[in-house]
Amino acid sequence: MELLIVTLALGLISFIIPRNNIKLFGLMGSLVSAGVAIFHLLNFDSTAPLTTLYENHTLPFGMTFHIGYDGLGLLMIMLTNLIIPIILLSNYNNSKTSESSLFHALVFLMQFGLLGVFSAEDGILFYIFWEFTLIPIFLILYWFGNGTNKILLKFFIYTLIGSLGMLLSFIALRTHATSFDYVDLVAAKLPAKKACWIMSGIMLAFAIKIPVFPFHTWQPDTYTSAPMSATMLLSALMLKMALFGMIKWMLPLAPEGIADLKWLVLILSVVGLLYAAVMCIRMNDIKRLFAYASISHLGLIAAGIMIFTKDALVGASVQIVNHSIIAVGLFLIAEILESRLNTRNMSEMQGTATLAPKFGFWFAVIAFASVSIPFTAGFIGEFTLLKELTDFNPWIGILSSTTLVFGAVYTLRAYQLSMFGAPKNEIFEDLRWNEIAVFFILSIAVVVFGLFPHLISDLVGPSLDRILAIFNAPTSL
Amino acid sequence: MATESLILLVLLFPLLGGIINGIVGKNLSESLIGIIGTAMVAIPFIISFSIFLSLDKAIQIPLFTLIQMSKFSLNAGLQVDGLAIWMTMIITGIGTLIHIFSMGYMKGDSGFHKFFAYLNLFVFSMLILVLGSSFFMLFFGWEGVGICSYLLIGFHYNDKEKGMLNTLAARKAFVMNRIGDLGLLIACFLLIGKFGSLEFTEIAIKMKTIPIGMDSLAIISITLCLFLAATGKSAQIPLFTWLPDAMAGPTPVSALIHAATMVTAGIYLVVRSNFLFELAPYTQHIILYIGLATSLVAAFIAMRQNDIKKVLAYSTVSQLGLMFVALGLGSYSVAIFHVTTHAFFKALLFLGSGSIILANHHEQNITKMGGLKKYMPTTHMVFLIGTLAIAGFPFLSGFFSKDEILAAGFGHGPIIFGLLILSASLTAIYMFRMYFLVFFGEFRGDNHTRDHLHESPAVMTIPLIVLAILSIFGGALNFPSFMIESGSHWLDDFLSHSTFGLSAVHPHHLDTTIAVGIMIGTSLLTLTIIGISYIIYVTKKKTTKEESEFIGWEKLSTKKLYFDELYHSLFVKPIEWKSLNVLPFIENGILYKIISILTAFVVSSGNQIRKIQSGILSSYYFWMIIGIVGLIGYYLIYFKFWNS
Repeated sequence: MELLIVTLALGLISFIIPRNNIKLFGLMGSLVSAGVAIFHLLNFDSTAPLTTLYENHTLPFGMTFHIGYDGLGLLMIMLTNLIIPIILLSNYNNSKTSESSLFHALVFLMQFGLLGVFSAEDGILFYIFWEFTLIPIFLILYWFGNGTNKILLKFFIYTLIGSLGMLLSFIALRTHATSFDYVDLVAAKLPAKKACWIMSGIMLAFAIKIPVFPFHTWQPDTYTSAPMSATMLLSALMLKMALFGMIKWMLPLAPEGIADLKWLVLILSVVGLLYAAVMCIRMNDIKRLFAYASISHLGLIAAGIMIFTKDALVGASVQIVNHSIIAVGLFLIAEILESRLNTRNMSEMQGTATLAPKFGFWFAVIAFASVSIPFTAGFIGEFTLLKELTDFNPWIGILSSTTLVFGAVYTLRAYQLSMFGAPKNEIFEDLRWNEIAVFFILSIAVVVFGLFPHLISDLVGPSLDRILAIFNAPTSL
Repeated sequence: MATESLILLVLLFPLLGGIINGIVGKNLSESLIGIIGTAMVAIPFIISFSIFLSLDKAIQIPLFTLIQMSKFSLNAGLQVDGLAIWMTMIITGIGTLIHIFSMGYMKGDSGFHKFFAYLNLFVFSMLILVLGSSFFMLFFGWEGVGICSYLLIGFHYNDKEKGMLNTLAARKAFVMNRIGDLGLLIACFLLIGKFGSLEFTEIAIKMKTIPIGMDSLAIISITLCLFLAATGKSAQIPLFTWLPDAMAGPTPVSALIHAATMVTAGIYLVVRSNFLFELAPYTQHIILYIGLATSLVAAFIAMRQNDIKKVLAYSTVSQLGLMFVALGLGSYSVAIFHVTTHAFFKALLFLGSGSIILANHHEQNITKMGGLKKYMPTTHMVFLIGTLAIAGFPFLSGFFSKDEILAAGFGHGPIIFGLLILSASLTAIYMFRMYFLVFFGEFRGDNHTRDHLHESPAVMTIPLIVLAILSIFGGALNFPSFMIESGSHWLDDFLSHSTFGLSAVHPHHLDTTIAVGIMIGTSLLTLTIIGISYIIYVTKKKTTKEESEFIGWEKLSTKKLYFDELYHSLFVKPIEWKSLNVLPFIENGILYKIISILTAFVVSSGNQIRKIQSGILSSYYFWMIIGIVGLIGYYLIYFKFWNS
């Protein structure tokens, strides 16, 4: 329980910390929450189906207050609590946000919401936390971003509408279950037609959040107008809620509906994956490019999850972690370029590597990690996902594999345009200590998970087995 | 020490060298960097030589499991057998010489330490590629060498004029290689699907229990995907156009990566998976024809290239094509033999051209050279040896290895044999055109350059001399049986002795009369071509035209048969067009509009609903009752229809 309370407390305390101390407080606080998560990891018993943190089944309307985690949930909790310090660290020198108490309070509240999503064991609770995360991120975008109201409104309304679908689905599901508790919801037996509707409702929320083609249009605008830290929060953590939700909630809750939706979601994911990749090939706005690249990468994960085999889910888990790491790195790179050159247009950059060799090196490391070369986590993730897709259907597998080529084209093009050539600008401040630290940590993490991906698969394996057991159990229809 | 730990040292040294030079190299002196870089390749050569001497059977060295999936596991492991150790010796041996040469060639370059770090890392990746015990490990090395190749082609990325072009060439190489990688990846998926493993030995064992038909769909798709990967790395049709562009890299890189080692990875891949290809005669035929076509196309293009490195690049593509012909004919050890001798003489030619380029102030156009014989005697001697070796001059290394390919082709009909002879003749023609234009006649460059023409320092000429000696005597590795009593076909025997699958495939040896006949025939042909070239370029003092002045077939040759233009309009343009026009239209014109309408609808309905919040209590009651009625209505309908 302290897992959630610590971050909530941090969020509330942040409001009253004076602005000249907030930077350090934020970093330290996030490290404390990371420490709490590590403590949980060390005491984790992967054989237990669920580590319950708090339980109260006496709420009205069959709602329960039940939080806890299994291996998958813990992975996401770890990811959240470890990525937040890195985000704050990369943001350390952005005085506009890093010296604001309000900003830190919102980040911690966001973290609180995310932890709630990943540990909720009740449908309504899941929904409440899911919606709750929207508030801090919206406020960060509103107060610290430079997006027009139109963009913000689009983002807010779009994601809200999606979530409504999920809420309706949970309520509909409740009519077949004794309570909103996860176990009860899973146990509910549904007629196939209804299951399909319920699943569609849940999927709508997730599809918009991930985002799956053609629900992605809120994303590039939001990303480009958001401050760096918000973009990182969105892509590294918030979108992962949806992927996590697909594995833990959508498919086990209404497995009867998968037959109808499998191909639809699979095809949309693969279309989105190729669509976004091709879109990137001639894009000149570096932040927008990374936003589309993110759509492309997440499309692969979403497609893999829809296959719903053990290996695909393990691959998806590895890739979820990998994408979070890479996304933080790429958006930090975009920020460094944008803040120092006052442009996001890559055709005006050129030759930065000569002026800032350290930056050139670390950008190269992150760029290669993002095209998932061997020895990085992305390779293992993509290898397994593509393998499962190919097993499922060779054509889908081959089509998705072409992202390997497209990914290399646009990533290396971005690197080439911004870094190579004779320098166009006079000066470019090389990396600061906090930026080097961030790149260093990210690269180490990518390589460690690339060499020892079983760190992830061992953690999530048993809980994935349980989810699959639910999924494969013969229904009484 | 046991072979297991020795082989780990072989891998460790280059990695260590790369790390040391990459991190602290900036603060070290050039000679120290060079010595570290060279030693980290030379020591593995000595170690691998000692392993080579004691090797009697294949050794498996499992390292660790990366991830255990439900149907398969990804393992890191090494395997030492005849083929692996032979490739290791080529890589580290030639690598050492090229490292030494680079100490002179890269002198004074601001990225000196980076260059040696990249070269060391390249050697490391290449060694993983050949020493890996599974397709998975092979893929690790495969991508690793691709990255090092990318970094080294674009090494001079901040050059004022050519910086962007260099990096464009690097990107082209990486992307075209990635297309091949796709093949390897899918082959891996298919192999897992069929055999549940990626380990070479396990697949070989399982092939005995899992029935897989000759030319069945499964085996053909697997082998074709593997071959696609090979065409990427080894620059064969259709993925060959990156290699000539890759000449943008510094010349030692061209010698090491784009001539001697990395581009032979495709051949290694096919030889390594020979047991798969043996079951797919269909694929073997494709390999044969692709190899032959590549060999001829590249040789034709090389006829009228004026850039000294481009000629050598196309010549490499052409020679690689010949190796694939050997593979297509099932003569795996012959292909490796040609890989070996080609590594000797092509490294020699590239390094020699590096020496020439350096003396000519980085001029690579052969129309601006000429008469270099008297300025650079050592370079001239070794370059002549290299040219003779590649042209198949009697009793030099290239003579023997090429002859074996011709002999293998002889058994497969007169057309294939004739085309092979044609390819070999073209090689001799373009090589001697270049040789005479560079070394004979009058110097055609500017006076300033002429006054500074000089022989290269010893650190560059010594590796050249060693390579020249190897190019002369390299044929001794695999003498045909009619020339010596015992010890003939030594390389064939060595490779088949301890490499899986090769012992089952016996190279087809022709009977002595025909073999000798072919040898005499090709020797005469080569000598005639040399004589005619001498008359044209030396006696008649003919010089070549600028590339822009060529017409007719010469223009076709100098324009590379318009392959680049074809690919550009077939693949690059349409995708870029989609990226620039079609998709943004869908994005902004359609999807964005829909969302905007949706948002506007929600906002306006919000404005409507706001009117309901009027503050009048009776109105709230009204809406409450409506709500209750609505809910009851919903449940009535719900229970009536949904649960029935």
